[in-house]
Amino acid sequence: MKEQAKDSNSKPVKDQKNPLEWAVFGISLLTILAIFVYLIYQTLNYKPSSPELFVEHWPDPTEAQPNRYHVVVQNTGGETAESVQVELTLEQANHETEKATLEMPYVPQESRREGWVNFSSKPVHGKAVTGKVISYQKP
Amino acid sequence: MKNSLSRPLSQSLKEYARGIAGGLLFSFPLLYTMEVWWAGFIATPMQLLLLMIVTYLLLLGYNRYAGMRPDMSWRSVFVDSVEEMGIGLALSFGVLWMLNRVTLVGMSVEEAMSKIIVEGMAVSIGVSVGTAQLGVKQDTTEEDKAAKRRLSKMRAHSKMATAVLALCGAILVGGNVAPTEEVLVIAVEAEPIHVLFMALVSLVLSTMVVSFSDFKGTPSEVNGNIVYSTVFDTCLSYLIALAASAFMLWFFGRFDSMSFWNVFAECITLGVIATLGASAGRLLIK
Repeated sequence: MKEQAKDSNSKPVKDQKNPLEWAVFGISLLTILAIFVYLIYQTLNYKPSSPELFVEHWPDPTEAQPNRYHVVVQNTGGETAESVQVELTLEQANHETEKATLEMPYVPQESRREGWVNFSSKPVHGKAVTGKVISYQKP
Repeated sequence: MKNSLSRPLSQSLKEYARGIAGGLLFSFPLLYTMEVWWAGFIATPMQLLLLMIVTYLLLLGYNRYAGMRPDMSWRSVFVDSVEEMGIGLALSFGVLWMLNRVTLVGMSVEEAMSKIIVEGMAVSIGVSVGTAQLGVKQDTTEEDKAAKRRLSKMRAHSKMATAVLALCGAILVGGNVAPTEEVLVIAVEAEPIHVLFMALVSLVLSTMVVSFSDFKGTPSEVNGNIVYSTVFDTCLSYLIALAASAFMLWFFGRFDSMSFWNVFAECITLGVIATLGASAGRLLIK
């Protein structure tokens, strides 16, 4: 209080804000507070859990890659998975004829990553391709 | 409220421009480093919260002890630090979106937010340093110049100012290397003799900068015993550099499942660069 009085009486305060600076300050403060609220909410609801990985795949041929498959890996767990290895197996007449693998550096929690694999032959039936995650590690 | 004492709009715009330039200048290496993007989504919400608090405290310290205006009040220090963090977050979002590292569609909020927060904190320190250091001196009156001289003298002899600026320098310089995997590789492959030499080189570099090289910003007059001042300054810089290294390495997950020796070696490895930041960097940004 004493210092403020001195400032206002004997020495003009030269660092007073103009409307632009107050606007930038206001937006910044709101952004930071919103992030804080979000992070506190996340912290309170954070339950450490291992990655939960799901593989989806479907045919996605192009002219140059007629046997291409689109692969999507989704992580619904509470932790990021690193070095995720996905394997797609092509079966013809109940026999495993070909395998294709795909590696993804990271699949973060609540996120998805996608990629494509190519087989050398075309599957006879639509359900002749199966996919699974064969390994991943903790970051 | 329009006030004749408030700063002109043009001056504010120039300060923001300097802040944006500084923010990008000091943090572009981090914005282009994938380990930093990964660090975002690997970190827990608690770690991100802690990072924001530590960064805000650093901004407060830097603005207090190296701010551009000698007559700055604490209120302005708080307000400016919030502005700098806000600009840092906005720049981080803009650059990451431009680089397609953050997308508005098809990316989870958790992933996008974590990347923006981690990068935004690095950018906001750059914004603060850029605003204070990249402008021309505008001390027009004798009173301004006298105030600036008094402040410089006070800062030169204040241990707190030295420690805060050393911490900012260590984070600013060491932060460019801390997220990379190379620190881990060097540390785990180093033999004890290498680690010992890294520690010795750090101390020699620090002593050289603060005492013998007439580095820009070194205090011209030293009160008391010169040997005491040199040893104190070197030890302070090195300890702060090691503490800053440890925090950064912990945040980037480099201590997970590591033996004590490896953790120690990692701190010493990053400490070489952080020490240079705590000594030379400190003098350049003050």
